[in-house]
Amino acid sequence: MTMERFLALACFLLVPILVDAQNKFTLSGYIKDQNSGETLLGANIYVKDDPLKGCSSNAYGFYSLTLPEGEYLVIFSYLGYADKELPIKLTANQRLTVELKEGITIQEVIVTADDPDKNVESTEMGKVDLQMDRIKQLPALLGEVDILKTIQLLPGVMSSGEGTAGFYVRGGGPDQNLVLLDEAVVYNSGHMLGFFSVFNADAIKNTTLIKGGMPAYYGGRLSSVVDVQMKEGNDKRYAAEGGIGLIASRLTVEGPIQKERSSFIFSGRRTYIFDLGGWALNGSDFEGTNYYFYDLNAKVNHRFSDKDRLYLSTYFGRDVLNFNTVTRGFNFRLPYGNATATLRWNHLFSDRLFMNVSAIYNDYDFSFKGEQDDFTFNVQSGVRDYNAKVDFDYYPNSNHNIKFGVNYTYHKLTPNVAQATSGEEEFTNGLRPKYANETAIYIQDDIRMGGRWKVNVGLRASMFTQLGPYTSPFTGREFEKGEPVVTYTGLEPRVSAKFTLDKQSSLKAGITYGKQYLHLVSNSTSTLPTDVWVPSTELVKPQTGIQYAVGYFRNFKENAYESSIEVYYKDLQNQLDYGESYVNDIAADVESGFVFGSGRSFGAEFFLKKNTGALNGWVGYTLSKTDRQFPDIRNGERFPARFDRRHDLSVVANYELNPKWRFGAVFVYGTGNTFTPLRNLYFIEQNLTVNYGDRNSARLQAYHRLDLSATLTPKPNKDRAFQSSWTFSVYNAYNRFNTFFIFYDTETDEAAGTASARAVKFALFPAIPTVTWNFSWNQGKKDQNNGSF
Amino acid sequence: MRTFVLFLSICAVGFFLLSCEKEFIPEVANQPDQIVVEGYIEAGPSSLPPYIILTKTLPFFSAIGRETLNEIFLRDAQVSVEVDGESYEFEEICWTELDAAQRELLQQVLGQFGNIDDSVDFEFCLYIDPSFRLQGEVGKTYSLRIQTAEGQELRAQTSIPPHVGLDSLRFKVPAGEVPDTLKELRAFISDPSPQIDFYRYFTSTNGSPFLAPLGSVADDKLFDGQSFEFPLPQAETFDAEVDEFFGLYRVGDTVDIKWANIDQPHFDFWNTLEFNVFNQGPFSNYTRIQTNVEGGLGIWGGYSISFYTIVVE
Repeated sequence: MTMERFLALACFLLVPILVDAQNKFTLSGYIKDQNSGETLLGANIYVKDDPLKGCSSNAYGFYSLTLPEGEYLVIFSYLGYADKELPIKLTANQRLTVELKEGITIQEVIVTADDPDKNVESTEMGKVDLQMDRIKQLPALLGEVDILKTIQLLPGVMSSGEGTAGFYVRGGGPDQNLVLLDEAVVYNSGHMLGFFSVFNADAIKNTTLIKGGMPAYYGGRLSSVVDVQMKEGNDKRYAAEGGIGLIASRLTVEGPIQKERSSFIFSGRRTYIFDLGGWALNGSDFEGTNYYFYDLNAKVNHRFSDKDRLYLSTYFGRDVLNFNTVTRGFNFRLPYGNATATLRWNHLFSDRLFMNVSAIYNDYDFSFKGEQDDFTFNVQSGVRDYNAKVDFDYYPNSNHNIKFGVNYTYHKLTPNVAQATSGEEEFTNGLRPKYANETAIYIQDDIRMGGRWKVNVGLRASMFTQLGPYTSPFTGREFEKGEPVVTYTGLEPRVSAKFTLDKQSSLKAGITYGKQYLHLVSNSTSTLPTDVWVPSTELVKPQTGIQYAVGYFRNFKENAYESSIEVYYKDLQNQLDYGESYVNDIAADVESGFVFGSGRSFGAEFFLKKNTGALNGWVGYTLSKTDRQFPDIRNGERFPARFDRRHDLSVVANYELNPKWRFGAVFVYGTGNTFTPLRNLYFIEQNLTVNYGDRNSARLQAYHRLDLSATLTPKPNKDRAFQSSWTFSVYNAYNRFNTFFIFYDTETDEAAGTASARAVKFALFPAIPTVTWNFSWNQGKKDQNNGSF
Repeated sequence: MRTFVLFLSICAVGFFLLSCEKEFIPEVANQPDQIVVEGYIEAGPSSLPPYIILTKTLPFFSAIGRETLNEIFLRDAQVSVEVDGESYEFEEICWTELDAAQRELLQQVLGQFGNIDDSVDFEFCLYIDPSFRLQGEVGKTYSLRIQTAEGQELRAQTSIPPHVGLDSLRFKVPAGEVPDTLKELRAFISDPSPQIDFYRYFTSTNGSPFLAPLGSVADDKLFDGQSFEFPLPQAETFDAEVDEFFGLYRVGDTVDIKWANIDQPHFDFWNTLEFNVFNQGPFSNYTRIQTNVEGGLGIWGGYSISFYTIVVE
């Protein structure tokens, strides 16, 4: 029945396209950066005299615009790049690859009055594209530029804690964010307990955040998508960039393998602060203790013809903690991290039909190996996916942009598999990995209906099957390898619509329904490397969520300013949490500690952004309320979620004083996080014991912070082959004491018959100044300068 | 997983070093006092007679003295324990109301409370079976009923599981670079299968009161039916400073081990209480202590016990 409905909807969508049979031709090709040859995604292509006839380039920079036979002035535009206006005589299908030049300065970008700004024009809601050059100008904690921290500055996105890369979107849990790196799911996006993300800014081309109105193309998570694309590598000339920072250094090299046909990029980052500080531990009880993390990104691509292109991208990152105590002879090694590999084949069947086939592998692996004397202890957990997908982009005419495809993933989820030895004796918790198949097919169409209406409809049909080997905790039944244990299916419709009020403003509305089959519950204030992903099983049902959103979008002053107001309501079912008396028990399956309930979140988001000028940036404000309801927590009454934050304000500014000096500032303000307060104290075995009150029934003080940065480019000639700059930044410039956590310390003195208790607030980061040196070298520019380097 | 908790604790220490701290007085919610039950019934050689201590919770305080502590005892409650259809009425006795002979007797019986010095004005009240007829027996279930002077009723139930004793104990030279005056205690046990066993232990040095360490309880999920040797660290109070020689024993001392089996609710209480102590800091959440007392907090717990004495050498 599910499949029949799906096909019926597909036919409904396709019929108006199939009957449309005028004499039309297609202009198609790729949009690229003139200097590097990198494809540009999300570029706008439209007819100057009739901006409604237009399209955007897809994730691979491909565009296709079908128009009636005729002559047109077509504009190719991309934010931060100079527009290109080309006369096109369309008498047959035409292939045209267009290279755009990055604006020397923002002011030089041509902004035409007719430019149909994407913010107002598209059906998309709650979607933001972040370009790395802008992100790199903002102040960063310890100098490490971090895209996941930048998205926390957008309305609707909340930081999970001081300095962390973890985030919550519109009241959704931390596991409800789909974080993709070149289509591969990144299951743990944090280094160093989440204080840094795994994304090395130098290797990243573009980041797209979708916090509402998730297109049917994406699935498997309820709250947001963070789609990170790695650079492809300069296919024209060799280039390098890097930096030396306080805690880590970076180096990226890229260049053509075969000029304008194939290229590579290799990027690495490693911390060294603790290696450098290792001498401080020499002679101490902790000699031999060390911590570091690193990231390696590599990507190659080759264009076989105008129709075929192959990409292979990989990521490998690890955090490694080696802990040693000399006195007690105790040591452990704790490595964890992600590995991803994505092989993609782009193929053009015709000027209107683009296909991408991807084979994706991703692995998150956590392990702990400890030993003392004749005792050893190992724990392992992780997620491994084998994923294959086929996606089509079909552009029948300028009124439709259809995407459809199929996606299959084989999951292997390893819980905390523990083994220990004591002398000759061995111990195990007997837990085994869980396996599952996840399949989805989807279709979506972005439909222009007359001059004012644009509608995006989509449907995703998903199916999830837990597979054996598995022993049912309910019936004791043994399932063989590959035997289905339980199957869940879901139809996930999404619709969003835009109504143009005038050239500068529009109204949008959308409804998105989704299912999520993998879950992660954290018992801490932020997610940890030890948190375990679990599949839907007999006990754990899929999470479901529906989101309603309405927005008003308006641009000012020829799109120099864009603004929006979005209001949303989100209802979440089958939510997971740990019970109130949860104890981390290595011997038990983690799902035995879960309790189940529901959640809701509603709020209003205000966004004002200035795109151009020496001073640019944005102001984002969110007014929201997020709560949860679990029969097993607070006797079933609603309670505020940990990340319920009534007010959340971000102000982000970049100012270019002159070519030598650029300044950045970030100010954030948020209502204090909720926490579970102490209710009272009592004695047991003469120790003072803390009895907690209702979950999340108290709040910390408001959080606010100002970060500042100044970037000095001593020789700011953009045509120089070698360029370097110094970035000076201060995190928490006015040294605000923002409570990170609360600690209760109790003491009893039986002899004296007295007792004392202390409640202590801890703040993590005082004002932290940092300096980073960055450089870039570009062979091509040297050539252009006739060797003036 | 305790090791990982240790790792997180180390991280927490790292953050303590990085971070700055401020002491504060938490807002005290205007909520009524709760009643805390601490009562035990033991089976086995040298077992204590059953007793119940009733106290009241305290709002957050920075420091309290003897006078306030004297007032936390819940007086004049009706306490009874029922087993096999027979009910035993308990009576309240308070330290300051006893004569010298009674005090000596009580001190012997309740040696584990130690430090009860009759030279100071220290109040200590508990409820006991004055007939001393009620003795814990393995396999039996004991129902506790408390009626406070204000009419509040509390109930709890506990059972005494079969005892699984230790096979042997020995001291060994610890790993690492530890002075030769310190030794590690190892115990050998043969855990029976398939029953689920829950264990708890206490240590005493040179006749001091028995103390349970943080990490005093274990279930046998990881070692059901196995025979093996494991370390038994020396107990210290929860608030003791942890140094690098934590858990080791001093050569020449005489060590007493009290080894006990408990039922699951009793295990859950200590397990959540100890996790509650660990589970603070930047990467943690709160843990609500799981009580088996209906209408109050605390524990009514049965133990089947054995004692072992060994000299550190």
